[in-house]
Amino acid sequence: MPYPMQLGFQDATSPIMEELMYFHDHTLMIVFLISSLVLYVLILMLTTKLTHTSTMDAQEVETIWTILPAIILVLIALPSLRILYMMDEIFNPYLTVKAMGHQWYWSYEYTDYEDLSFDSYMVPTQDLNPGQLRLLEVDNRVVLPMELPIRMLISSEDVLHAWTVPSLGLKADAVPGRLNQATLTSTRPGVYFGQCSEICGSNHSFMPIVLEMSTLKYFENWSHMMQ
Amino acid sequence: MLLLCLRPQPYLHLPFKLLGILDVQNVPCARHSILYGSLGSVIAALGHFLFTSRVRRSCDVAVGVFILGTLGCWFPCRYNYAKQRIQQRIVQEGIKNKILFESTHLDPERKQIGTKSDNS
Repeated sequence: MPYPMQLGFQDATSPIMEELMYFHDHTLMIVFLISSLVLYVLILMLTTKLTHTSTMDAQEVETIWTILPAIILVLIALPSLRILYMMDEIFNPYLTVKAMGHQWYWSYEYTDYEDLSFDSYMVPTQDLNPGQLRLLEVDNRVVLPMELPIRMLISSEDVLHAWTVPSLGLKADAVPGRLNQATLTSTRPGVYFGQCSEICGSNHSFMPIVLEMSTLKYFENWSHMMQ
Repeated sequence: MLLLCLRPQPYLHLPFKLLGILDVQNVPCARHSILYGSLGSVIAALGHFLFTSRVRRSCDVAVGVFILGTLGCWFPCRYNYAKQRIQQRIVQEGIKNKILFESTHLDPERKQIGTKSDNS
């Protein structure tokens, strides 16, 4: 979950999020070096008394500053495309869960084996128990088994929403009349929070998503209890 | 307010970010690459200055060597780190399978021994 004044990512819970973090590190190093170079050139420009008022052409430097950025872009694009295609792979999911966006709550359907569906509303601030998180807790969490690939089908019943869980590296738009698919695999148990990420009305900030990843046995017991 | 000051505060591990963006403490290989790049750039710049006595050109050399040196350390380090991660995942999976399936017909060691005796 996020903490106050956080700038970086949350800890990765899925292999995809780990890959995204490593790609971010790679791109940030390139950005840092380019920024250092630009800063140095800026300081050079500001600290020289030399001027050249009759520059007509500069073929060499023009060549360098065309080819070098192209190479840099290729160095960024190759890992980016690798992760993009990795995110689209579907690894024989064990379970399919549908997440439907409404104004202003999420509803979930587990219809693979039994008919289970429920709504997930945010717990209002005045109803929170001590230790619970403001604007993040819900009345019914999405309980899922960990270490298994799960297919999420995301859609909406009214306006655009977006189903997001940052620590799993998941974000998918919930579009009315369309099914968007995302594959979810958690490497460890825990509770993971997310919030609606597409403006959807006055209570857009008050429809969080809470995933509870646990053992398969716990998940089976929970699904029996929920019916 | 006074009570807050007197209460022992937990040590806040603040990240150190170069230029405000690169967290050298938490990004794998970043500290190592920046340090080697800086060292290389200082040595190259000093050497260039000693040989040529040109300050401005030596500074250009310093920046150039810093960038090339950092990238030259960064890419191999990240490549090795990625290889290590893959190996770690394989080992982790192997240990998990060993623990789960020990003494059963799915025991990975039993399968390996079976394969070896078939080959011989």
